[in-house]
Amino acid sequence: MRRGTAMIAAASMVMSLTAGMSFSAAAYEVDELKVAIWDNNQLAGIQEIADEWTAESGVKVQIDVVDWDNYWTLLEAGASDQSGMPDVFWMHSNVAQMYMENDILLNLDDYIAADDKIDLANYYEGVTDLYTRDDNGSVYALPKDHDTIALLYNKAIFDEYGVEYPTDDWTWEDVRDAAKAITEASEGAVYGYAVNTSNNQDGWYNLIYDYGGNVVGEDHKSTAIGSDEAKAGMEMMRQILEYAAPQATVAETGTDSLFQSGMVGMITQGSWMINSFYTAENHEDYYWAMLPYADVNGNGSCDEGERWSCYNGLGWAAKSEVKDPQAAYDLISWFCQEPQQKKQAELGVTMAGMKGISEEFANAFEGMDVSAFTKIEEEGSLYFRPYTRNTTVWEDALQQQGGMLDAWLDPTNPDTMATACDNCQTIIENAIAAE
Amino acid sequence: MKPLLAEGSKSVNKKRMSPKEKSEERWAWLFVAPTMIGLIVLNFYPIFQTIYQSFCKTGDFGKGNIFIGLANYQSVAVAAETWQSFWNTIKYALIEVPFGIIIALILAVLLNKKCVGRSVYRTIFFLPMVCAPAAVAMVWKWMYNTQFGLLNNIFGSKIAWISDPKIAWISVGVIGVWSIIGYNMVLFIGGLQDIPGDFYEAARIDGASEFRQFLSITVPLLSPTTFFIVQTRIIGALTVFDLMFMVMDKTNVALKNVQSVVYLFYQYAFTNGNKGYGATLVVFLLIFIMILTVILQQAEKKLVYHN
Repeated sequence: MRRGTAMIAAASMVMSLTAGMSFSAAAYEVDELKVAIWDNNQLAGIQEIADEWTAESGVKVQIDVVDWDNYWTLLEAGASDQSGMPDVFWMHSNVAQMYMENDILLNLDDYIAADDKIDLANYYEGVTDLYTRDDNGSVYALPKDHDTIALLYNKAIFDEYGVEYPTDDWTWEDVRDAAKAITEASEGAVYGYAVNTSNNQDGWYNLIYDYGGNVVGEDHKSTAIGSDEAKAGMEMMRQILEYAAPQATVAETGTDSLFQSGMVGMITQGSWMINSFYTAENHEDYYWAMLPYADVNGNGSCDEGERWSCYNGLGWAAKSEVKDPQAAYDLISWFCQEPQQKKQAELGVTMAGMKGISEEFANAFEGMDVSAFTKIEEEGSLYFRPYTRNTTVWEDALQQQGGMLDAWLDPTNPDTMATACDNCQTIIENAIAAE
Repeated sequence: MKPLLAEGSKSVNKKRMSPKEKSEERWAWLFVAPTMIGLIVLNFYPIFQTIYQSFCKTGDFGKGNIFIGLANYQSVAVAAETWQSFWNTIKYALIEVPFGIIIALILAVLLNKKCVGRSVYRTIFFLPMVCAPAAVAMVWKWMYNTQFGLLNNIFGSKIAWISDPKIAWISVGVIGVWSIIGYNMVLFIGGLQDIPGDFYEAARIDGASEFRQFLSITVPLLSPTTFFIVQTRIIGALTVFDLMFMVMDKTNVALKNVQSVVYLFYQYAFTNGNKGYGATLVVFLLIFIMILTVILQQAEKKLVYHN
């Protein structure tokens, strides 16, 4: 056994050595690129795609997974002299503008112009806009993926309490009624619904847009979170919260863990989280429905602009002082070309950053129907994840006391929710003013 | 100790150094150099950088700092959360320092006696020190969990240990005490072993009870060790961060009543990217700790027994 492994190791070493000699010496200055990502669920798929590039280019790709909080500490701490930074990494809407303006990221304009496999028009506009700098129009990252949100429910719980399953035609009122039915029938042993203040993109943001409000305006310099429309959306959220798991419970245990331990009937979640439910113990009870809509005009059907899903897209970026920019760009380009984007969807890593090639994603999870995530792109509307120059400042504040948390703690009182919306308006306005 | 050193250095200054002394001096510098360089690079330089940044509106990624005088100090001083976090930190210290010391002292006295399995017990109590603080905090976080936690399961209760603002600070303090007992205990055992056995023998002959011996011999003769622990633990407790950070979710209701000054600093400096404001917060903490240290040093002269 041990000898076998040693032989394989030796063989692979020889192979990589020869590969290194035959390709990288000729084409690239480096024989390895360091890549950092924050999502362990995606590691296997990304590594598989990267290994195919290694086979062609001879440049090894070393991928490290760093958890979300430490990921940004790592990037920021390394940004001043860039030596500690990975060569290629993910960018996110929260901070992209800041990284681009400070020339931390490699300007990709010339490389894209010389690359006939990449045409930016084929990708989601929200994502390409995000990674384009406002002042000089340069592009600093290529769209890796996009994600949408859907409603997740546990059939076993709906069966036990005799409540009808969610459908793609549900409104938020239906969600409230089902949550009420489950919570009351189980006498609080099981909650119909769970949502925390931190479930913004995958939770309450969507209600604000369904009812016609916004969190950050199109110019990324204003907000309508305190508007009557947004308040109507959050009032709906409040009515659901009345029958949802208490905030202290969701903060301690997390909505996902509560759902997976069979204590919650419904949650909303993003497509990037499918894998953790797909691999969960009771996954055969888990079903996805399209994100509910708000029947604002009251005609009993979902019309244009009544069903909104937040979408976000990561970007593949390189540091500006990367040793071999061509190698870094070629890897980025590889990840974002059509065959690899398709493969990313097929493997169920994420939906593509390229438009119209994600149908395969719906079939990636054998035995679990995840078409709710792709269906909403045709039957609903997508808005890009609200961001400003320094999103984290207000995004964190909205989740805490003085923000939405006040309303979560007092879900029976409509006035608290309205006040919380006004407070959030002030928080975002002040944060934008300080940017 | 102190007078001896002073005389020694004077005598070196008085006469010229012999070649042997010169060579010794060189070696001395060589030996302290690693520590000195470490201190300068990792402590002194960052301290002055931090103080400098506290007077600046810091730019992104440490570039483009603009000097703004005391503006940061003004905003930190008027922010209610600053003083709340100071109060939280003090509350934490009020649990960790006294309980961590009293329990450790009792354990040290018991484990200093000859008994079966003494080293096993010492190892058990020291184990929390060997564990990574983050791992310790994660385990406690789940023990405290209201729904599935071990504590509520044992007691059959429904207490929100870490979400009820009234008790969350105590729950976090308990983790701190549990983590530090072993370390304090080892220091106390070291101190106990320095107390000559003759004192106890004489006391026994005089008919003093065990408790009397503890009060009249152990406590005073152990006071230098106790003082050392008190002082280092106060500083340690005032700079607590990882416990709150690991145990409490960002959306926890009780967070505002538990978050320490360093937690607030982390939030501003690293999450929000406002290094100047963060730096000002730690300068406040630095000044506070300095004042406390001066007071403690004064108290040392009165409270600590030197023979």
